[in-house]
Amino acid sequence: MRALPELFDLRVKARSLAYLFTAGAGLGLVTLAFPHDEAVKEPQLVLLAGIAVAIAGVVYLEAERIRAWQLHIVLGLGTLLLTFANYYVGQSSLYPLMYTWTALYAFYFFPLGVALGQVAFIALCYAVLLVIQDPASPIVRWLLAVGTPVVAGLLISRLLERTGVEAGTAEHRERALRQSEARTRLVLDSAPDAFITTDRDGIITTWNVAAERMFGWSAVEAIGKPMRGLIIPPEFRERHDQRRRALIEQEGAVATELFDMVLQRRDGNRFDGEATVSRVIVGDDVILSGFLRDLTERQRREEERDELLRAQAARAEAERVAEMMSGMGALVDAALARPGLDEILANLVAGVQQVLGADAATIFLADEEGEWLRIGASSQGTRPASVDPIPFGDGFAGRAALSREPMFAQRPDPADLRDPGLHKLEIDSLLAVPFLAKGAVIGVLEVCASPPRRFTADDLGMLRLAGERVALAISHARIYEREHQMAETLQRSLLPERLPDLPGLKVAASYRPAAAEAGVGGDWYDVIPIPGGGAGLVMGDVAGKGLAAASMVGRLRSALRAYALEGHDPAMVVQQLNRLVWTEAAESQMVTLLYVVVDPTEGVARWVNAGHPPPLLVGGNGGPEFLEGGTSVPLGVMPFPNYEEMSAAMAPGSALVLYTDGLVEVPGAHIDDGLSRLAEQVRDAPEEPKALCEYLLGTLVPERGAPDDVALLTLRNVPISDRFRVDFPNAPEALSSMRALLRRWLRHAGGGEQEVAEITTACGEAATNAIEHAGSGGGKPFEVSGRMHADEVDVSVRDFGTWRTPREGDQGRGLSLMRALMDTVEVTPTSEGTTVRLRRTLRGSWGNGGPD
Amino acid sequence: MREGLVGLEIEKRGDVVVASLTGELDIAGAARTGERITDAVPTSAVGLVVDLMELEFMDSSGIAMLFGLARSLGSRRQRLSVAAPPDGPVWRVLEIVEFERAAPVHGDVDAAVAEIG
Repeated sequence: MRALPELFDLRVKARSLAYLFTAGAGLGLVTLAFPHDEAVKEPQLVLLAGIAVAIAGVVYLEAERIRAWQLHIVLGLGTLLLTFANYYVGQSSLYPLMYTWTALYAFYFFPLGVALGQVAFIALCYAVLLVIQDPASPIVRWLLAVGTPVVAGLLISRLLERTGVEAGTAEHRERALRQSEARTRLVLDSAPDAFITTDRDGIITTWNVAAERMFGWSAVEAIGKPMRGLIIPPEFRERHDQRRRALIEQEGAVATELFDMVLQRRDGNRFDGEATVSRVIVGDDVILSGFLRDLTERQRREEERDELLRAQAARAEAERVAEMMSGMGALVDAALARPGLDEILANLVAGVQQVLGADAATIFLADEEGEWLRIGASSQGTRPASVDPIPFGDGFAGRAALSREPMFAQRPDPADLRDPGLHKLEIDSLLAVPFLAKGAVIGVLEVCASPPRRFTADDLGMLRLAGERVALAISHARIYEREHQMAETLQRSLLPERLPDLPGLKVAASYRPAAAEAGVGGDWYDVIPIPGGGAGLVMGDVAGKGLAAASMVGRLRSALRAYALEGHDPAMVVQQLNRLVWTEAAESQMVTLLYVVVDPTEGVARWVNAGHPPPLLVGGNGGPEFLEGGTSVPLGVMPFPNYEEMSAAMAPGSALVLYTDGLVEVPGAHIDDGLSRLAEQVRDAPEEPKALCEYLLGTLVPERGAPDDVALLTLRNVPISDRFRVDFPNAPEALSSMRALLRRWLRHAGGGEQEVAEITTACGEAATNAIEHAGSGGGKPFEVSGRMHADEVDVSVRDFGTWRTPREGDQGRGLSLMRALMDTVEVTPTSEGTTVRLRRTLRGSWGNGGPD
Repeated sequence: MREGLVGLEIEKRGDVVVASLTGELDIAGAARTGERITDAVPTSAVGLVVDLMELEFMDSSGIAMLFGLARSLGSRRQRLSVAAPPDGPVWRVLEIVEFERAAPVHGDVDAAVAEIG
């Protein structure tokens, strides 16, 4: 109940009171509407109701600002109004019940004391009312007998309550004082310093826990004894007494002094102490109080703290060094990611220099026999080639290499410094550690310091650590270099050693490995002579690097050659390759491929594009044009993709440029920008394929290499001239190419269709012989050359095998055909091979009626 | 069916087998093409017509193939006839090697078939 009033704020209480007043007034008015006693005085009751409503209005409107005591008074006023209403209504009514509402409100909203006060007031009012109405009634007598003591009792109890609070306050203060004293005691006892008080004679009156700890005497033992005998060493007691007397005699109520003194423990040990002593005079009493500090303890603590600080500093330094070392590790790792031991060594030198705070650092490398050192890298920029090899045992580095022990030197003799770059420096101290791999000295790391830096033995450990790092990095780098060379060799083996000579076509290719790549690239290109003349151009890119990519390139290259030589259409060739990649390649291995077959006789390029950048046709109709049609998905992403063959005219003199994305990919730029750049550069480029390759690489690829590998293949449909010389592979499949070349050349020379066919047949016979002779010629290519002298065609077929006299029968027919079809046939066998020279005068459109 | 640059189609006209060649016939495909044609002629056939009307090129290895066919058919008592466009390059080659001594050469396939049938 007590807590209840606190749940409501004053505004709620005020409004509730306003409702109570209104309700009371309303009820009073409602009762007047019913039949009632004549004694009821209506005008007075209506007036009372009006007053109640007015008060309610004021309270309601002022609810925001009203105060608690004002509410208490208003409620009392309500009791008064009710009493008057009771008086005017007379005895017959039930009006006194309204007192209950008032009391309920008071109990509900007011503190208990106030509520009881209201109830007492109600009781008083009602008693007065009853007395006025019927002085003689027994109720009045009861009330006077009982009610008055109740009221008086309430008043008295209220009074007593007030007194009780005051008594409680005094008791609280006393308790607080005791607590304060206890706290003071606690503080004194927990103080790290000893706290001692004495009287004017030096008799101990207070002895805290720290004093017990410091001197070894308990409070019980110490209190009541003279301080001088307890803690002052004998020879200082006289001086102690003088000081005490001087302090007591000082003027003023309080005096404080700080003393350094020698103190003595119970066990006789002495220590340096410091005392802050105060003298207080209270009346006649003199109190001397002192805080005593053990200076040795403090010294020890200070030393401890210094030690801690030193340890922290050392740890911080160690962490800094560790960070640098790991930074150097990262440096080493970064260096490993790119080829070139020199670069790695330069990075290591810089890293070592930084980690050790050295003024100079040099890495010497040992030769494989372990006899000589040469400079690998120097912070002084000494070029390795400028210094003669240093024998083991010579100079500091050489001695460190020979002894396999670290060397430390102060003010070294400059003659012992084999890095000439160091001679410019004033060297104060020098450290050299050999580093070993698999038990052999592979080099020496030498660091130098100029004043004020000076190396200490501590630095040696660090340098050894650095040396281990360097050794690791160098052996990694050497392994890496070897592997890189292997990888490069492998890659070169996957690219054609030399491009075939193709009748009527000129091709050139370039491969530029990426600037900073360790692995073998997956780019490859190939040029395949196509049966029936023409060339198959291959440009592919296997996603990924390393041996897996390289072996995929190898397989694709062989497979593509096989399919192409079988005479399949480009689309079929690419479909077969897709099946190979889909069924056999590792998951997610993706290959882009562009396969173009150029037929110079027909002047047509036919291509299939499996997700590769489009080839660029130069010198067709109009400017450079990307052959963008027919691009389908890369190989290996679908089992049965649709590869469509596209074709474009390729006039004599026009050229094709095939490339991998490394050529057109510029970091940060869109691929279209790269393509535009390529098209732009091609406009001013030379026509000759080899020069075109060089020009494009020179203008499009950064000096230090592109971010990705670049493969570039250019082909030109050579304009026909009056002479040619082409090597053909020693294989039956080469014959059709050779015939295609000859037909094109002869037609260009003005030969009629029948002449062209007959000369081609004759030359084919010569070539067939050349292929048959090659059995002992080691498969060397045969050479076909042609010249026009005025109207005379002069073709020579030269092989490097052994001439076999044609037998009668099948093989003899070749020679008969040659003789029948040509004007002259000369066969010249030599020890190196055989040359067949065929000549015939063209008669132009002679016989120009038969089919080709 | 292709063998190198040569295309080969086999057709039966009654008891006569017609083997039509297209493309270019040279040392790269001649021997294998000859075998295929021989295999395609059953012993029940009266004879074989080699249709060279659409063949663009033939050299001495093609001639050797034809002589070979003539020999093997002769041993089975079957007849061979060849069709080639008159005055074309193939015809010219046949002419030079006097292939007529081994088998008749006609200017069209029907005549060649009629010769045997």
